[in-house]
Amino acid sequence: MKIWLLAGCLLFCTLRLTAQDADTESTHAGHVPVISGGAGYVESINGGTPTLLPAIDPVLLVPLGSHVLGEARGEFVGVFNRRNGNGDYTGQVFSSLDYAQIDWLANTHVMAVGGKYILPFGLVSERLDPIWINNFQNLPLVYAIGLQTTGFGVGGQLRGVATQNDKFSVQYSAYYSAHSNAYQFTAARTTGFDTSIYFPVQHVEVGTSYQRFLDDPKHVNNTAVYLSWQPPPVPLDIKAEYDHGHYGQGYWIEAAYMLSQVPVANSFFRNVQVVGRMQQAFPDNGGGHGVPGVKTERPGIALNYYLRNNWRIISSYERNFTASKDTNLWNVGFTYRFTWPLWPGRKQ
Amino acid sequence: MGKRRSPLLTGLLIVITAGGWIGGECLLARAQADARPAPPAPAVRNTGQRSGEEVFMQNCSRCHKPPMTISPRITGTVVMHMRVRAKLSRHDEQALLRYLAP
Repeated sequence: MKIWLLAGCLLFCTLRLTAQDADTESTHAGHVPVISGGAGYVESINGGTPTLLPAIDPVLLVPLGSHVLGEARGEFVGVFNRRNGNGDYTGQVFSSLDYAQIDWLANTHVMAVGGKYILPFGLVSERLDPIWINNFQNLPLVYAIGLQTTGFGVGGQLRGVATQNDKFSVQYSAYYSAHSNAYQFTAARTTGFDTSIYFPVQHVEVGTSYQRFLDDPKHVNNTAVYLSWQPPPVPLDIKAEYDHGHYGQGYWIEAAYMLSQVPVANSFFRNVQVVGRMQQAFPDNGGGHGVPGVKTERPGIALNYYLRNNWRIISSYERNFTASKDTNLWNVGFTYRFTWPLWPGRKQ
Repeated sequence: MGKRRSPLLTGLLIVITAGGWIGGECLLARAQADARPAPPAPAVRNTGQRSGEEVFMQNCSRCHKPPMTISPRITGTVVMHMRVRAKLSRHDEQALLRYLAP
């Protein structure tokens, strides 16, 4: 309770300061506090067992001038299952603080981040994980590789653009996380980096991530390589990633296509997205720690419809193949992205 | 896993969320009343300095569907956030600000 009161006071004190602070370089961009994030409601059926998953993930952004940004994301997710398999839905609402960090945007080459932050590893954790972005609501099988133990770090991080020109840009992030058992700030002692090169003309990004786990088991390395490609004339988005860690390895490859090139009923089809994904996971050292314990294959298809730019109806089907049992995974629901100012700001 | 929440707390959460939703939409409506369409991108490209439209189209769609409009009141904050998340350069940030909130 005290933490919330303190956060409220801090927010209030910064409101007037930030509401009057605009970028000084001849634009009308306002720097007011913003609450953003995503919400959704998904019915998931895994192997015949239905689960209702309402979720709200608000992101609070509080700028202090145009070079310092405080940001935090919370997660409120409900998990409701049928009582005794066929009765009423009953369950719980879980809440957590995903991250709370201060960013100092020093210059192009260096942005310093301190606090609790998302571990930068691969494509998903920092970029594709939010409910309103993910094409499939089920995370990849090897998502947990490189994100032990909680997916978040407590400590410091440097990130930025190493070099940039018309043809390419090289981006990086490097971090050190301390071991922490503090409430809502649980993290393992790890260090690592992520770097990628982006070719803006071709819309191609190739990157790699590395993490060295310094808690028990000590000195375990996790690595990832990834590709992201949006071929310019086609509304196609191809992403792929290969992860390797102490407990297993695997890959996923995903292609998302907007049907905006369909010549008939274009006003409808341009909002329809068809997605295909294939993934495999191979356990090592017994698997576990977020990696499947047996060899698993999971092809899937998703069909999403954008009602508006920030509203979408989602659906997906995946088939999970293992040596012992094959299961179907269905998801149906909607997602919503919101971005609201917390202060009116100055008149433009 | 978290603790089981009481119905009162769950109800309070719903009320706060609904209030935030409605209040936020009202503020957003006010802010969007001032929003203006994005201007055309300049035809000239300088070395290492892409136009705001190019930066917008090339970077936003790497991860998600680009937003149709962003109110100038929140543009600075949102672009700061995306500069950190997407690791954009200072030049790209300024180009985006000029494009979205000239």
